[in-house]
Amino acid sequence: MIDGLELAERALAAVDGEEAEVIVHAESSALARFAASEVHQPTLVENASVQIRVIRDGASGWASTNRLSDDGLAAAARRAAEAAASATADPDFAGLAEPQPLPDVDGFDPDTSSLGADEQARLAHGAIDGTNGLPAYGYFTSGVTTIAIASTTGLRAEQRMTDASALVLAGTDDRSGFADATAWRVGDLDCRAVGREAGEKAARTADAAELAPGHYRAVLEPYALAELLTYFAVDSLGGLGLIEGRSYLAGRLGERLFDPKVSIVDDALDGRGLPKRFDFEGTPKRPVPLVEEGVARGVVWDRLTAARARDSQTSTGHASPPDYRLWGPQPLALRLEPGEAESAEELCELVGDGIYVTRLHYLSVVDPHEGVVTGMTRDGTFRIRDGRPAEPLVNLRFTTSIPELLRDVPGLGRELKLVNQQAFYDDRYPFGVLCPALATGAFAVTGVGGGPGL
Amino acid sequence: MRELCGEAIEAAAASGAAYTDVRALVRRSQYVATKNGRVEVLQDVESEGIGVRVLVDGAWGFASNRDLTLKGARDAAARATAFARAAAGRGNRRLVPVEARNGSHRTAFERDPFAVSLADKVALCLRAEEAMQQPDVRVTSAFVRALREQKFLLTSDGVEVDQETVECGGGIDATAVGDATVQIRSYPSATVGSSAQAGWEHVERLDLPGEGGRVGEEAAALLRADPCPAERTTIVLDCDQMASQVHESVGHPTELDRVYGTEAAYAGTSFLHPGDLDTLRYGSPLMNVTADATTPGGLGTFAYDDEGVAATREPIVAEGVLRGFISSRETAARLGRGRGGSMRADGWSRMPLVRMTNLHLEPGEGTLEDLLADVDHGLYLETNKSWSIDDKRLNFQFGTQIAWEIERGRRTRMLRDAVYTGITPAFWGSLDAVAGTEAWTLSGLTNCGKGQPGQTAHVSHGTAPARFRDVEVGVKP
Repeated sequence: MIDGLELAERALAAVDGEEAEVIVHAESSALARFAASEVHQPTLVENASVQIRVIRDGASGWASTNRLSDDGLAAAARRAAEAAASATADPDFAGLAEPQPLPDVDGFDPDTSSLGADEQARLAHGAIDGTNGLPAYGYFTSGVTTIAIASTTGLRAEQRMTDASALVLAGTDDRSGFADATAWRVGDLDCRAVGREAGEKAARTADAAELAPGHYRAVLEPYALAELLTYFAVDSLGGLGLIEGRSYLAGRLGERLFDPKVSIVDDALDGRGLPKRFDFEGTPKRPVPLVEEGVARGVVWDRLTAARARDSQTSTGHASPPDYRLWGPQPLALRLEPGEAESAEELCELVGDGIYVTRLHYLSVVDPHEGVVTGMTRDGTFRIRDGRPAEPLVNLRFTTSIPELLRDVPGLGRELKLVNQQAFYDDRYPFGVLCPALATGAFAVTGVGGGPGL
Repeated sequence: MRELCGEAIEAAAASGAAYTDVRALVRRSQYVATKNGRVEVLQDVESEGIGVRVLVDGAWGFASNRDLTLKGARDAAARATAFARAAAGRGNRRLVPVEARNGSHRTAFERDPFAVSLADKVALCLRAEEAMQQPDVRVTSAFVRALREQKFLLTSDGVEVDQETVECGGGIDATAVGDATVQIRSYPSATVGSSAQAGWEHVERLDLPGEGGRVGEEAAALLRADPCPAERTTIVLDCDQMASQVHESVGHPTELDRVYGTEAAYAGTSFLHPGDLDTLRYGSPLMNVTADATTPGGLGTFAYDDEGVAATREPIVAEGVLRGFISSRETAARLGRGRGGSMRADGWSRMPLVRMTNLHLEPGEGTLEDLLADVDHGLYLETNKSWSIDDKRLNFQFGTQIAWEIERGRRTRMLRDAVYTGITPAFWGSLDAVAGTEAWTLSGLTNCGKGQPGQTAHVSHGTAPARFRDVEVGVKP
């Protein structure tokens, strides 16, 4: 296991007397991917990279390497200095973060950290075996991620975190169901139950019917809702989108924009999620209210966007990983507060007549300013009739406004579910959304696709 | 590199691997991005490591390690074989054989993009931004990128390949903000610009500053444009939108791993079946699509893929009929036809997957103006803005940044927020014209996502403007 701070200190020492910041991002992970109930793509990753940021006269240059020898670090430091020398000064550069007390959080589990190939394969097979004989597609994955930051301001921050996920699509040619579960403690995962949930869902999807396009009331399972919230957040819940006018919240802060039952907070300290101590500038994490009882309260900020806002804004601790800075600060620990409904069935009663959506596919933002996204439903779409789940439906194309969807909310589930949102591109950094199932009065179906199944 | 890869092959064989392929990589990239006249990102990244894939008792294993030493190579091989054993399945995987051979590939270029100073790259971006300035344009941005990847591949069946690819590219965006709408224009495409396997001459030919004025003006004009009406009508798509259309509705559904279901849980499957080969009518007789890993300048160009199959050019759709799949040695063996040749991994820490290489819509005849001339009423749509397609690659919805009404063969008023939808074979069946070679353009995308853990592939598409009849435009309800 790599000593992140020791490595960060060595890299910082390689910078020759200039203002600098170092981020160490290390990963040790396994992902046992399966299809047709057989592991077909098992991937093991061991990596550690060092990102060096050199500041020269207010201009920043970055270089990174995974050559961790003294020579490798020195070369990266030189390239960062060359980059800084080629950049222009940013008048809003607020300086590197000063040391601040960091919160203590959960998020590291020794048992998850020490999983070996046999156990990871066993957990994958557990998920496969849970589908009650239906072919299983998905994965089990677990990993350890280390983030360490050191800078010439004296800032030192380190966190080691674990995460584990099981995801199952159970299906044949004419039916399919989906489930997943994520936790930072593998002991909190019941892989077999994930397979069972997917299998049971799939069994109800055969002989799916079409549905005429139109506006429908709907129940969204946490899988579907979490993805919608993540897409909405990219443009609308970060400081950059607000400054640039793309955010739905631009010019609307303080207004009641959503149903009073809707409260959204970004809370990386919540142990039910995937906890973090600090962001990628070393700023401490803290809960940030975004929507309170339907009223837009704020967005998240990093140091640069806070300075550009020019209204005494400060960083909320949401600097993105270096490769994602162009997207601005992002809320990666969203929590939609729960409601009162005991079950999805109770939400169906609230909807009366509508549709039930398990999972979404291939979302794309059509209009960021209005929060309009398009995508498909899949792996468990049903009609709701007389307040009860009814016949299965084919996959539906929706093109819907997320703000409108959140403006008319008959109810929310009582139970929060952590839904993984990382697709494991690039370096591993676990994050997800905590949310309940939700009933909405406004879900726009704009077309139909194929039936459920493979 | 050769020694490291050989060490891993030996270690894997000693642990019981029946087949092993090993890739040792050194990758360096630069990314320069400016926004509103300021440098947003100026980044120089290097990454190196080794990836070892093994077949043990018919089960795959893959392990990677950043440590490019003999010990690192042995360690990756041992972990790959251990994981394969632990996750053993039915053990019936077969590969199409390859001929043992040595090979090499070097990107041909005139000017090494890494020899261009970072300061010059910044200056180019800032010049392009300056050209986009307009009163209503609130955000301008520009970027350029460069990548060099040195890759050594060694397989246990005797393939030894040394390849060095060089890519570069760039793009610009202007975002105009009005009271009720936000509009963006991009060049040469949204989000990722356009890249090529080429030297800096490719970026110079893009002429980002030269296009900046038009991009800024159009972004501002879109604020005052009428929304695109909903109707069934004739559409003509530009090269950029055609690249997205080919990518999403022909490239992905013809990937044979999707056809066999191994991407089902994430990217999805395909409406195609193995038995559709040579029989399924994919589109009109004007539809000819070719997979070509030999295209000069293509981001998917190589001498050998990541399991040692030599690059080729093969038909996927010919005169509207499905004639081929994009495949690997394993999926080709399962199909009983073909030899693979499209296995590509994103860097050293990911397993090779079936991926598009360069996938082209072959040119037809005439010019864009010829295509428009034969439209009494319709739309000309430019530059992809949004994209979504279902898990079987049938139901799609695309939005474009800008549209023009066509009346009696001529472009008339500008329209905003254009969206069109369709079902893949029916849409391609409505293809009634493809412009000719003069209009055919190679677009290089660097954001094709697939796999778990996620992988991003770089893919090129050669397309020409094309015309489709009776297409649903706009969103209902």
